[in-house]
Amino acid sequence: MNLAILVVLAGLMQAIRSFHVPYMGAGLGTTLAFGYLLLTAYFAGTLFKAARLPKLTGYIAAGIVVGPAVLGFLSEPMVQSLKIVNGVAIALIAMTAGTELEFKSMRPLMRTITWITGLAVMGTTVLLGIAVFFARSLLPFMANLDTTQSLIVALVLGVVMVAQSPAVVMALRDEMQSEGLITRTVLGVVVLADFAVILLFAITSSIAKAVLGQGADVLHTAGALAWELFGSMGVGVLIGGLLALYVSKVKEGAGLFLLAVAFIMAEVGQRLHLDPLLAALAAGMLIRNVTDAAPEIQHQIESFSLPVYVLFFAVAGANLQVSVLATVGVPAILFVLVRGVGLYYGTRFATALAGAPKDVQRFAGFGLLPQAGLALALSMLFSKTFPEFGADAGALTLGVVALNEVVAPVIFRIALIRSGEAGRLAPVIDAIPAEESGLVDLGPEKA
Amino acid sequence: MGKGWPRLPVWGFLLAFVLVLALSARVAQGQDLPDAGQPTDALNALNEGWSLVEPNASAVGIPDASAWVLPSTNPSAAISPATQPPTVRQAKPPAQHSGVIKTILGIFALLTLAYLGGHAKVRAWEERLGISQMMAAGFPFVVLGMLAHLPSVGVLTDETLVELDPLLHVGLGCIGFVFGFRFDLRTFRQFPAGSERLVFFSTLFPFVLALALSAAVLALVSPRQDALALSGPLFLRDALILGAAAAMSATTAKRWYRLGKTTRLSLLVVRVEELLGVLALALVAAYFRPHNVHATWQLPGTAWLLLSVGLGATIAALTFAILQTATRGPEFLVLSLGSIGFAAGASGYLHLSSVVVTFIAGALLNNFPGEYHTRLRDTLRRLERPILLLSLVIIGALWQLSDWRGWLLMPVFVCARLAGKWWATHPFLHSSEQKPLTKEERYELGLSPMGTLAIAIVINAKVLYPGQSISLIVSAVLGGGLLTEVFVQRAHRKHAARLRAERNLTPSPITFGGMP
Repeated sequence: MNLAILVVLAGLMQAIRSFHVPYMGAGLGTTLAFGYLLLTAYFAGTLFKAARLPKLTGYIAAGIVVGPAVLGFLSEPMVQSLKIVNGVAIALIAMTAGTELEFKSMRPLMRTITWITGLAVMGTTVLLGIAVFFARSLLPFMANLDTTQSLIVALVLGVVMVAQSPAVVMALRDEMQSEGLITRTVLGVVVLADFAVILLFAITSSIAKAVLGQGADVLHTAGALAWELFGSMGVGVLIGGLLALYVSKVKEGAGLFLLAVAFIMAEVGQRLHLDPLLAALAAGMLIRNVTDAAPEIQHQIESFSLPVYVLFFAVAGANLQVSVLATVGVPAILFVLVRGVGLYYGTRFATALAGAPKDVQRFAGFGLLPQAGLALALSMLFSKTFPEFGADAGALTLGVVALNEVVAPVIFRIALIRSGEAGRLAPVIDAIPAEESGLVDLGPEKA
Repeated sequence: MGKGWPRLPVWGFLLAFVLVLALSARVAQGQDLPDAGQPTDALNALNEGWSLVEPNASAVGIPDASAWVLPSTNPSAAISPATQPPTVRQAKPPAQHSGVIKTILGIFALLTLAYLGGHAKVRAWEERLGISQMMAAGFPFVVLGMLAHLPSVGVLTDETLVELDPLLHVGLGCIGFVFGFRFDLRTFRQFPAGSERLVFFSTLFPFVLALALSAAVLALVSPRQDALALSGPLFLRDALILGAAAAMSATTAKRWYRLGKTTRLSLLVVRVEELLGVLALALVAAYFRPHNVHATWQLPGTAWLLLSVGLGATIAALTFAILQTATRGPEFLVLSLGSIGFAAGASGYLHLSSVVVTFIAGALLNNFPGEYHTRLRDTLRRLERPILLLSLVIIGALWQLSDWRGWLLMPVFVCARLAGKWWATHPFLHSSEQKPLTKEERYELGLSPMGTLAIAIVINAKVLYPGQSISLIVSAVLGGGLLTEVFVQRAHRKHAARLRAERNLTPSPITFGGMP
């Protein structure tokens, strides 16, 4: 049935797209792309689930297949215009992640989280840097760099490629109804690693610019970084307070209000050079640890966030340029392997040092493998920051993200099942608040 | 604002405004934000390619756009697939971000203000002024949109409206779907004896009167070369739209007479009017398409009409199949939103009416057998509020206030419509088989406000055919809707007070009832 629906949708899309008027505005295509991608990704997710694969891999795969790279049902401008969901999705995901981070219950895990972040994530960054350095003969854009320049550029690429994905971890946790030490440890690590990666990228890319002769203003960079990190957290704390106040005092229309706030955080935040991810995370953490509003906010996000998530992962897939794998396939696969080995064994080593339970030692490393939003963003940022390396450098990092985006969630899903943490959470509450109705009388109910 | 609207603690929002103002001030002062530059803008890169406003969007070669659109004297404000050339999407330098931030915060502030209208004190004030029902009908959002579009406010600029175009399409699709989903064939199986004449006259009179008087006024004041000349296809097109809007009504009088629920007769009249309104829009979308030799599909008008019906039916069948697969509330939300978006997008892409296609889909779905009706209805209830409110803001922004002829047309339209409705309920016109109307029924049918579907139909027509004449109709219908609400509510209030005194009735709670 699901496959038949997908085929019918594709047929309809093909027929509709055959209508063409020159200079038709992008707006109409956006609405069409929105509806089509939402439905197609959803059904692809259910097919993947039936095949015992993560739904979100299905969403991403659907985006790749119907996007400009393969079937071309969605044009490049259509995909670009759908990126509006990215910021909102990231803010919502980060806020949910923040509301999961209860200091009291996380305290026993902090030792493990810190060890993993310090050893596995930082260690893998260095390992990736070394791999890039020694594989530079495979990378034409590094051909003209001297040893020092190659080293620092390799380190920047290491930072770009090591980034994790709180979004995927959260999505898989929800999908698998997973709860336990591994889930919470992984969530803590990916959140903390996000801070570290942003910080590291800022530092290493500034050094690289200086080494490459572009010049870098250390004070300026430090100020910008401080504004982004601490400004984001400050604004996040304010927003968290506001949201908690709204949920406890007003209650009604909280879903819409949350969505509006997520949009504001994403769109205004990024233009003020704040990081919406950090802001939303801080908001969520404040809500969880200082107020009583966390369950209600989680419920509100849960009840309306599915379309946003489906679209977010599908758009991420549609953005992937599969063709780049043809040109940078070999080094990309090499770096994916290095990253995987580094993160997995680094985590095993770090958890052993921290004295974590055996299951955490065995499975937590798999949770660090998925990549999505931040990795894509850093990849694009790398291309923008170092335009002299041309399209090949961006293609390489995008290729690594593409492979991890498709394969890593499958591995993490298996890990969650094997560890026994999958299915431990109560099922998602399936309720539509009646008080939110009443705008239009929909007439008598059918018998 | 009615039941279900938040009663907000004002101080809670003061905090929100402090935050908003602080950020605005930072932008307005033109402070040098720490230019994070390349190292720190991770999320900027993620969002690269999208921006709410494209101030420097340049037309990229439109050699023959006029072949697709009808003549427009004010094309800048129109949202049109044809008049808006593909824009060049580029990342903005920081200096240009202040306008975007202002826009986003402005929209947030607008919504916040609208929510503040739900405060108990504000509602009491509305009741005292007798405008509560008008507020409940969502008109504040139209007014807010109108204000936001003013150049001095500059929040919903023409560029922003172009960017919000997809939202408007989804909004129109949602309205069409919701109204279609209320369309129950059983209503027509239980036709009260002799009511055909009432339905006929109550549709015909306002249609003809509004059309005749509006045309006469415009013929007097418009230059000869204007598109509203009383001949030719453009006049016929505009006549269909204006007449359809005039004929349509909403059933809100139940609030005043405590009838428990809308009478069957009233419901029947409203449903027939809605059906005719949608039919008129379908005809307009099919038979008045501008000829474009570059379009890949060259079809006659009837084929486009059939295509609208076929697309609606296909979407209905597809949605029917899709909904069989959903088991949980969030899945219903994804599938409903996806289906509506796909239907609205497909119809918009083919330059057909989104309202018509989704109305057909919704109507068929409501009459198909199955067990999804209640859950789909619940999901629609959940979806419609945010989408509709935002659509109303955009609709308000599309209202062209500068043409004085629109203002002139407004009272003429209102008077003609109300006179037509009132005369249609006159006992003299009714069949002998029909049970005489009660006083309440006559008031309900004869003094009915305009519904959201009427506004959606006119806006959809404007989206399809951006131009001067449709802009006038939008002015007449939007402004007319507001005026009608004020007049009708005052009339009902007085009449209900009289009845209450006679029967000791009390008013029932306000519902969000501007829409039936």
